[in-house]
Amino acid sequence: MNRRFLSLSPVRVLIALAVLCLTPLYATVDDALSFAHECAVPYVKQGFTIREDAWGGDLGVKDQKAVTAQLFKGNEYWFCMATDVKGAVINVHIYDSQGRLAESEAWQKGRFAAAKVVPKATGTYYAIVTIEKSPQERTHWALVYGYR
Amino acid sequence: MLPRLITTALCGFAVANALAEPPPSTIDLSKFPAAAVEDVVVPVPSEIFIVLDKLGTPNWKGELRDNLGTNTGNRAQIALLLGTVIADGFIAVEAEDSEKVKQIGQEVLVLADGINVRKAVIARSKSITDKAEAKDWRAVRSELDGALQDVRGAMQELGDDELAQLVSLGGWIRGTQVLTSIVGQNYSPAGAELLNQPELLNYFARRIDEMRSRNLKKEELVVKVRKLLRDIKPIIGKDTITVENVQKVNKLTTDTVKAITSEDQ
Repeated sequence: MNRRFLSLSPVRVLIALAVLCLTPLYATVDDALSFAHECAVPYVKQGFTIREDAWGGDLGVKDQKAVTAQLFKGNEYWFCMATDVKGAVINVHIYDSQGRLAESEAWQKGRFAAAKVVPKATGTYYAIVTIEKSPQERTHWALVYGYR
Repeated sequence: MLPRLITTALCGFAVANALAEPPPSTIDLSKFPAAAVEDVVVPVPSEIFIVLDKLGTPNWKGELRDNLGTNTGNRAQIALLLGTVIADGFIAVEAEDSEKVKQIGQEVLVLADGINVRKAVIARSKSITDKAEAKDWRAVRSELDGALQDVRGAMQELGDDELAQLVSLGGWIRGTQVLTSIVGQNYSPAGAELLNQPELLNYFARRIDEMRSRNLKKEELVVKVRKLLRDIKPIIGKDTITVENVQKVNKLTTDTVKAITSEDQ
């Protein structure tokens, strides 16, 4: 037990609470990841296995990032992206090693976006993530993918 | 109720999609390498095994090894060996050999102990054994994927990132050995295409080249693995991977697996 914490005076507690109330609550990649997993739920029900690892970070508006993946012909993949920033609009699209759009389906709705690819060839693919709009300067995002 | 919610959500997504701006049909990839999250996402083994399932019914039992190798106490060897043993777990799942899966689960624990990550895989090992007992093969695959990630994660926490890469490499080498064996026995261009992994090869080679630990980089086995990557690259760089090239990759990976499992380290 932290004795110093126990000895806090009521005034100190009030000051601490006031500071907490004034501190903006920042979003985290972990929160974004929870939403990305939520985004993937319908595909799990369709038999897709979602990988346990995930990718993410924070980006400014109109910034993009590429996640490079080795995909195999014969599998289908869904890439699911999310942010926990309310009011943000994000996107994910899949391109092949020549820079050609490779997805067969894609959708985006506010803080969620997803793209499906059925690779025509085994090789390197790029999931390009974009923050289209956001009320915040930096927007946390997370990406997971599933395969079947 | 739940299916209706999902349908409603998907309809909502479809409407949203119709309103979204279409993405460009081509992009300039040269703008992205510096902004990439990481070099390349290493596929989990089950992504490859699922494709192999669809290609036919190979003789998986014939691919199983009696001897999973000897732990020599050399940490680089243990990491590579652990990767190969986890890959064997997938082969045992394909062969639906629950006894072998259980043996592999135990071996994973022993090897994990050798590189101080036993704690990270205890739960997985038990789960692998339980699910193999119940013959829930899909779940065993998932646990094996998870074991690989747990080991890598635990090693990264210990600051052993470079050794963690060797676990991935060991799995990739054994997986490629089996893949080429199966594709070579019943060759088809579609099967051979699974070897088209140039970026993955570049990624593994870079990880070895950039190792900070000079001792690890100079380890005989690590040098052998680096040579293997260099030798394979031109063979799989062709548009169509021929049966002869599949056999060459099989020979190269078989020799390397022998070196990893050998006591002479």
